[in-house]
Amino acid sequence: MLLALRRWLGLATPVVAGADGFHDRKSQKWVIEPARVGLIARAEELWRYRRILWFFAARRIKERYEDKTLGRFWMFFQPLAPILISTMIFGNMLQVPSDGVPYFLFFLAGMSCWRIFERGVIRVTRSLEQNRGLIKKVYFPRLIAPISSVAPALSEFGVLFTLLVLTCIYYFVKDGVFYLRLGPQLLVGVLAVGLAAFLSVSVGLWTTVMQTRHKDVQFSIRYFMQLWHYVTPVIFPLSELLKLLPPQLHFVAYLNPMSPVVEMYKWGVLGIGHVSVASVATGLTMMLVIFSGGVVYFNRSEAASVDRL
Amino acid sequence: MDSLVAEGLGKCYILSRDSEGKSPRSFWRWLKNPLGDSESTAKTRDFWALRDVGFRVEPGTILGVIGPNGAGKTTLLKILARVITPTTGRVVGVGRVVSLLELGAGFDPDLPAHDNILMNAAILGIPRAEAQRRIKDILEFAEVEQFTGSPLRHYSSGMYLRLAFSVAIHMNPQILLADEILAVGDQAFQERCLQKVAELGRDGLTVLFVSHDMDAIMRICNRAMWLHQGAIRKLGDPEEVVDEYQNAVWSQADIAQSERGRRSNRYAEVLSVRLVSSTGKDIGGAPVSEDVFIKTRFRTNKPNLTVKSALDLSTKGQLIFRTADTEARPLPQAGVYEVLVKIPRDLLAELPYVATVGCIFKRDTETKEYPLLMYNALTFLVYGTDTPDAPASGRLDRVGYISPKLEWTVRQEAYAAGA
Repeated sequence: MLLALRRWLGLATPVVAGADGFHDRKSQKWVIEPARVGLIARAEELWRYRRILWFFAARRIKERYEDKTLGRFWMFFQPLAPILISTMIFGNMLQVPSDGVPYFLFFLAGMSCWRIFERGVIRVTRSLEQNRGLIKKVYFPRLIAPISSVAPALSEFGVLFTLLVLTCIYYFVKDGVFYLRLGPQLLVGVLAVGLAAFLSVSVGLWTTVMQTRHKDVQFSIRYFMQLWHYVTPVIFPLSELLKLLPPQLHFVAYLNPMSPVVEMYKWGVLGIGHVSVASVATGLTMMLVIFSGGVVYFNRSEAASVDRL
Repeated sequence: MDSLVAEGLGKCYILSRDSEGKSPRSFWRWLKNPLGDSESTAKTRDFWALRDVGFRVEPGTILGVIGPNGAGKTTLLKILARVITPTTGRVVGVGRVVSLLELGAGFDPDLPAHDNILMNAAILGIPRAEAQRRIKDILEFAEVEQFTGSPLRHYSSGMYLRLAFSVAIHMNPQILLADEILAVGDQAFQERCLQKVAELGRDGLTVLFVSHDMDAIMRICNRAMWLHQGAIRKLGDPEEVVDEYQNAVWSQADIAQSERGRRSNRYAEVLSVRLVSSTGKDIGGAPVSEDVFIKTRFRTNKPNLTVKSALDLSTKGQLIFRTADTEARPLPQAGVYEVLVKIPRDLLAELPYVATVGCIFKRDTETKEYPLLMYNALTFLVYGTDTPDAPASGRLDRVGYISPKLEWTVRQEAYAAGA
């Protein structure tokens, strides 16, 4: 049983070298076999190849803003428009509570963190297909493709965060209150950004493999992300959701790993939101489950997926 | 110690009947068993692109890989380059592998040469400092020093190739995989590439070199492998393998072989019949997308002769066409002449062809004609470039003995008849 599990994880196969050459090792021998390479060997290999991550990431970001005449304008307007509309509907018309900060700011903060995840998953899903040209012609650890595809999502986050800072300055001039936390607390926000990117890769590892089998995954994933958006405390504060649930069912709200991430971010940046040990622990556990499953699934399906590209 | 040992190597592709899992039914199957291979339950057909291939290569071997399209040459190279995973078998190798599977694969057209070299080095796992030290040599060998600043998409295909080849050999490989790539550049650079490969071979570099150009194979390879339908047909001395391969190609054509024709008569002697490219270079095969020429050289021994030439082209034992020069050409002095007939691009199909050449000599003062007919004077293979979307074996739009590219138009009539 244990052996079967080990084999399933790909740990049983001996640590095998890649064809890229071991200029730093004495024995330059390598082996190519149908068997999957173990996860540990994979991780080692990924580390050796870490430098191409930057090339891939830079390429993805560049093509995002290239050849658009109003590049800069779109960069700010594209995310801003839906936020303004949502503020009108939820903040002004429906009077959704916002933890004591202006609703626009509240929503912008939640959204900037959420968008990393949402855009990340959509991009990672397409990553194998998008890098098909390279994948079918040169060897590099395939994991590089999904991981590097989060880069544009992070660059979009940069834009939203700039908007967030500008908004804080606006409210400071207008009301004399500076909402942004400029202290060690901000590090929690940075951590949340990292977790959002991490989770988007974890989910994307599943979807990008599925995408090579079923081309419609990239369309359905958008609807799926929209649903996910509505159960994540972006439009409403988590505290409002918790009010609806009896205390023993609070963990149901925490099961969505994006909930604690968004709340952590809002707490780190604006000092609002509901962050508890229970919520963070549940969220992290969920993340690890999704991630490790994703890595194993990706590793198992890698060869078949490349053939199918 | 061997630099490369392959044992029982095989690659099986599963061709699904219900158009590769796109039907709702296959989606349900997948929902039931998302972790398993969706193919295992579907109606499928196995296709072995490579089957039970085993060989050993010593350091310094330049192994030429030949065979018709769809024989598994590229599949073999892709397995060795780790781009695809084999279904069966095992390869053990020593040292860094560098592959040139396609022109400029791994290059980003938007980046300048400098950045691309660094990216390639990163893909090959070469430390940045080491790569930086080699940049100058790479640019120098590729002869692109004055274009280092401009992005690669402004490069000509020749420059692209030179850079790709230069990067590959300067990355200090122990094994180099080259797929048909040297067939692209200009002749001077091709020559330099071949010389460089031969030189590196003497220093112990192992090269696997796929080509349709038998002359290049004979020149630089010290071993050759003939792949046929995914298996090794023959492996050994390049001269023997190429001879046998060409004989097999010939016998496929199955033209009456007893008649070899005459090479000389009282006025003239045919020296050679060759296939040449538009630059005048001898080639072993004809790319579909290029004009090629059949060149007949002969020597005359009398002045004031005329020659009228004709060409029969056949494949698979069928005469496809006969074409003759429209006029008798004067040969005022005794000497060596050549007749060239152009076979335009996009005319022939991807098949082996056999050419029979005829030259009819006549003296101005006589009425009697003296023909020289060279039956099966030339056998050559017309090949296309493999594209992954259309494997050579299953192309529905390439049926028949010739495959000319014609002009198609669709237009609506001005008014419907009988309306």
